[in-house]
Amino acid sequence: MKSIQQKIWMLATVVLFFMAAIWIGLTYYNQKTQNQYNDILQRYLRMNEVTGASQQMIADLNNYLLSPSPANLNKLEQDKEKIRIAKYDVYGLSNAENDIALTNYVNLIDSLVETTDRSLMFQSERETEASKKAFSEATRISIYISEMNLTLLDTELKTYDRFYRGIIEQSEEFNKLGIWLLLLITFLLLLFTYWFSSSITRPVKKLTQAANQLSKGRFDLQIEVESNDEIAFLAMMFDRMRININNLISEIQQKAQLENELQQNKLLLQESQLLSLQSQINPHFLFNTLDTLSKKAYLEGSEETSDLLVSVAGMLRYNLKRLDKSVTLYEEVNVIRQYMDIQKARFTERLQFHMDIDESCLHVQIPGLTLQPIVENAVIHAVEPEADGGVIWFRIIDGPELVTIEIEDDGPGMTEHKIKQILEGHLVPTEGHATGIGFSNVVKRLRLFYGNEDVMNIESVMGQGTKVVMQIPKTRRTDYDNKAPYRG
Amino acid sequence: MRKTVFVVLGFVCAILSYFTIVTAEKAFRSDWQLPQTSEPTVAKYRLVLITQELETDFCNKVGAGALEQAQNDGASLEVWGSYGKNQTDFLKKIEIAIHSKVDGIIVQGLDTDEFKDLTKIKAAFYGIPIVTVANDVPMTESLRRTYVGSDQYRAGKMIAEQLLSDMGTAGKVILISDNHQAYYQKQRLNGIEDVLVDYPNVQTVYAETPDTREQVIAITQDLMNQLPDVDAFVAVNANIAGDMIREIERRSRVAPYHIYSFDDGPESLSLLMDGKLDGMIEQSPEMMGKISVSLIMEWLRGETVPLDMNGYLTDIRMLKAKDTR
Repeated sequence: MKSIQQKIWMLATVVLFFMAAIWIGLTYYNQKTQNQYNDILQRYLRMNEVTGASQQMIADLNNYLLSPSPANLNKLEQDKEKIRIAKYDVYGLSNAENDIALTNYVNLIDSLVETTDRSLMFQSERETEASKKAFSEATRISIYISEMNLTLLDTELKTYDRFYRGIIEQSEEFNKLGIWLLLLITFLLLLFTYWFSSSITRPVKKLTQAANQLSKGRFDLQIEVESNDEIAFLAMMFDRMRININNLISEIQQKAQLENELQQNKLLLQESQLLSLQSQINPHFLFNTLDTLSKKAYLEGSEETSDLLVSVAGMLRYNLKRLDKSVTLYEEVNVIRQYMDIQKARFTERLQFHMDIDESCLHVQIPGLTLQPIVENAVIHAVEPEADGGVIWFRIIDGPELVTIEIEDDGPGMTEHKIKQILEGHLVPTEGHATGIGFSNVVKRLRLFYGNEDVMNIESVMGQGTKVVMQIPKTRRTDYDNKAPYRG
Repeated sequence: MRKTVFVVLGFVCAILSYFTIVTAEKAFRSDWQLPQTSEPTVAKYRLVLITQELETDFCNKVGAGALEQAQNDGASLEVWGSYGKNQTDFLKKIEIAIHSKVDGIIVQGLDTDEFKDLTKIKAAFYGIPIVTVANDVPMTESLRRTYVGSDQYRAGKMIAEQLLSDMGTAGKVILISDNHQAYYQKQRLNGIEDVLVDYPNVQTVYAETPDTREQVIAITQDLMNQLPDVDAFVAVNANIAGDMIREIERRSRVAPYHIYSFDDGPESLSLLMDGKLDGMIEQSPEMMGKISVSLIMEWLRGETVPLDMNGYLTDIRMLKAKDTR
């Protein structure tokens, strides 16, 4: 992963590299040209040096001839030495073009020195005339040297003509190169900078858009950033944050739903308790009275009445005790038996009640007072209104995981609409129930207890009867169980 | 948008880099090299050819022949000289050559004391061999090793013979030479006179003229005034032929006159082409150059010592105006 810092470093390095390359190139070229110029100038200077030296020598020779002092002679010797050095310098300048002229030049210098010597020799031998003649010859040679020098310089110019023009052309080309290079670098840098800046700003822009979406509450869009720097890392973290927020939200929603359920459950319980409290006007007095009535009926020989009173008392007691606790199926079945005994006394032959119970599954836990209201419902709707009475079937069938409880009657049945209303809990409980607990209350409590919507099902055919089927799991939902102790 | 910018910038960069590379190649390519510095070639003989009239047809041919031969012999040769017979300059060149200690001097002879002094004393002092070319200076006066060039005496004779055959054995002839009394002119005159002396009916008038144009014209006028019925002109010095003919033209037509000259003047050939000269002695300047160089090389290498004092003569032939047409 490349960091933004690395990218900036890279840009700086590239720029630096360009600058360094150009600087080195220019310096190298400059040095080269300078050397060439130096060489050329040196050639000219060396060639000229001889002329100067020869003229100086003639002047000193003249001085000496006029006043022959050791000082002047010494000067002359120095001049000779100088001219010899100059001559050797000139030797090195030969090339194919000026070979002959240069040799002539050098020989002229020799001739000059020889003639000077001759003049000196004549002077020392007091042959003034010959000395003068030699001097004038030396003067002439000196002039020839100057001329030859001019010729040499001329040749030099001709020989180097192409070279000099080359230098001029090259420097012109170099100027052009400078301009091209400047343009090229400008555009390269533009390109590079554009690429570089967009590689930083593009992911930032994407990230901004993503943040914008998040701030608008859209947590479902995935954040994708094509980059390989810190921005990509940031985007990744951002995306993770989005997912976490998403999870948290769904968790909160779930919790809220759960709270809602609990609240409902509490309300239902309170409703049932309130109802039971209303009917709980001194229950002990009632039980005691009922017991007394039962004994009295028994003593008076009305055994049937006595049993009936016992059933009523048992049912009432059960009713008061077991509303908020789970009970076994066995206890429920007992309550139904007592209830049916009472109802049989009431309806006599009009009520036929058939019970078919699988005894092996009576240990199953079930909320209290859930079966009795349904059976009561069947009695109210299928037996009470009919002059001929009705038949009620009560079955408990064991299954591998579920216990099926069926309560069937042959009453007038009910409409689909009503079934729906009942199952959705919209039906207001009608008066007349012994326990005050309606069908809807049972349905809701069962659903809460098992956490399952499909606990109860109603099948009904108009004019033929109604069948209520309950599928009770043998094991209760665990989380509901765990939360059970906290219930108020 | 992004892509477009990239493509455009990339395209511009590609174009710019192409131009940059092309220019850089030009700027850094060094096809121009400093001329190779060579070791002074001591073994090579250095010869100098000094002529009196540079850039004339005749001298150029001598120079060309000499250069060719020098190249063959592996000697280095330089052609020096003066323009327009400038004697001071010419003599100076000789002196420079001597002081430059060249190995050999090939020089167009000049029949003056200064020339003889230089060749006899100076050159001998430095031990430099001198060969005269085209124009000779007698051996005894110049201490030259040899002479390479035309037999000027024979050339004079040929002119005279041609004159006789064109003009007949009777007539008046004007001979004009310059006033330098050059050796080669004397020889030419001798040649002409030696032929014409046998024909008493041929009357010759000899005149000398200084070099300047005005003098030549004046002398020509003067002579034509003296001899109105002149039949023929001979310009012994080819240089004056042009001015002379122009003066004649000013007076009358040129055609009736028989005019002869030599080829070593600047205008000789064009005059002949125009038909103004009736005849011209053509020498072999290239051969002169060649032979002179090869002889001096032979002498320097010690192959032919001494050289033939009398000189090595090159071909001459008569070139008539009729032939050129």
